[in-house]
Amino acid sequence: MKNPQKPLRETNKKVRPAGWQIVAVALFLFYMLLPIVSTYIFSVATRWDRTILPEGYTLEFYIRAFQTSYFIITLRNSLILSAATILVSLIVIVPTVYWVHTRLTGFKPLLDVLMILPFGIPTVVLALALVQVYNVPPLARSPILLIGAVVVYSMPFMYRPVSNAMQAIDALTLTEAGQSLGANVFQVLSKIIIPNILPGILSGSLLVFSTVFAEYTLTSLIVGAKFKTFPLLLVEYTRINGNIAAAFSVVSFTIAWLVSILILWVGTKGQNGATETIQAR
Amino acid sequence: MPLSKRKTGYTSDWVRLVPFLLFCLAFEVVPILFLIRGSIIDRNTSQLTIQHYLNLNHPLYLNSFLNSIKISGLTAIVGVIFGTFIGYAIYRWPSRRIQEILMTLSDVTTNFAGAPLAFAFVVILGMNGVITQFFLEYFQYELYPTFSIYSFSGLTLAYIYFQLPLMVLLILPAFAGIKQEWRESAQSLGANAFQFWRHIGVPVLMPSLIAGVTLLFANAFGAYATAYTLVEAKLSLVTLQIGYMIAGEVRKDPAIGMAMAVVSLIIMGLSIGIYQAATIRARRWSKS
Repeated sequence: MKNPQKPLRETNKKVRPAGWQIVAVALFLFYMLLPIVSTYIFSVATRWDRTILPEGYTLEFYIRAFQTSYFIITLRNSLILSAATILVSLIVIVPTVYWVHTRLTGFKPLLDVLMILPFGIPTVVLALALVQVYNVPPLARSPILLIGAVVVYSMPFMYRPVSNAMQAIDALTLTEAGQSLGANVFQVLSKIIIPNILPGILSGSLLVFSTVFAEYTLTSLIVGAKFKTFPLLLVEYTRINGNIAAAFSVVSFTIAWLVSILILWVGTKGQNGATETIQAR
Repeated sequence: MPLSKRKTGYTSDWVRLVPFLLFCLAFEVVPILFLIRGSIIDRNTSQLTIQHYLNLNHPLYLNSFLNSIKISGLTAIVGVIFGTFIGYAIYRWPSRRIQEILMTLSDVTTNFAGAPLAFAFVVILGMNGVITQFFLEYFQYELYPTFSIYSFSGLTLAYIYFQLPLMVLLILPAFAGIKQEWRESAQSLGANAFQFWRHIGVPVLMPSLIAGVTLLFANAFGAYATAYTLVEAKLSLVTLQIGYMIAGEVRKDPAIGMAMAVVSLIIMGLSIGIYQAATIRARRWSKS
């Protein structure tokens, strides 16, 4: 996969996909796209519970969805949570990755293990542990505790792209060059290192954004109704009104697609795409 | 000379990792240790006890473990078999553009877990869903009540949705590890396609297949939002039970929740551990 122009396998240009390949890929596409496409159609259908195709089309449910009292509040809360998580994640991870790639290379294996740990902890278990330990105000069941939990849970998504980008540049030589010109640590980081690993930072931030924006488990179990986010509103409406829930699902799917396209775009600008990050799961 | 001013010893340098390590301690390590402690300490006497684990021997909890293991195992195996097959179809596809589009699609869809996905499955397979209607219209067949999206069978289909693309992403690099020269050498030595796969292809893929089964298993075992939205109280799963304990809907001994959490940590830890070991082994082939 070193050369992006080449197919995964060397083949003659004229070779056509075999019949079984077309069938396998078509079934895969069907499974992956049918639920999504149906939800998009359902959200604009007047009635779709007695026939194969909808009886009519309307935008009514979008208008009602956007008018629900909690729509703006939950959207705002989700954005606050995502932004805060990205910020804390960057502050904690970028300098750490930098040190581990320059002067503390011996700690890299430890860091790699710490970054796999969140995958071994089910989100409900993390929520239970945090709620039990931090059971006194002001931390108990607070948005601050939630941000800490979400940062831990989304850490690997930030770590991978940033670490890969750091690997791709010679951080030690750049640091020494900067220092020999009289720059201090903060100048080296802000003027040399960060601009050089910007694609990695952007990919990581976008991955964290899409993870946190869709986060349901930690939010509902740690803070619940006190700090309602968009996914909580969605789940609530799946039990109240299916049409409005469909409109909310469409909003959620569309944001996920847009962020993925952005990640891909950032990935082609830099060297590392999102694919590698996901594979690391 | 600025370089000479650099501190070189580890003793002072590791201090720079303190903010990160403190963060991990505060929000990850310490809470988990407290959880483990809580599961083996009697609240009233402060003595070591295994009573909380013995209390798990109750149909409700045993069933939730059984259901969780069943659905995770089933969707992991289905995901690995079909994911490998689809992955191979994509890998052999002649156009790089199509390959990239399919990989991006897998990338996005494997993260489509949770409430929106659960709802999308209600739209197609709910009581009045598209596919339910289709079966009724063209085959005069009522899916319900034999099948229900709000049950084990429905949840299985929803889980496979995010398992399948994850396996595709995992297996694609493994296929790239099977070198074209090996295939040619095998052919020139008179091996047919079956012999090639039996003696070369499958053994080379084996670590990736094991990694796939364990990762997919862990992926499903830890899932909560999809199950909560779809089945809620109709099917008992470990994650759902732990969730009820936190939400306080059932006033039960919190130590039972902790014991359940520790058992699931062990199950998840084993899966992720095997996954990690298998991945390191799988990388041997793709290195050169």
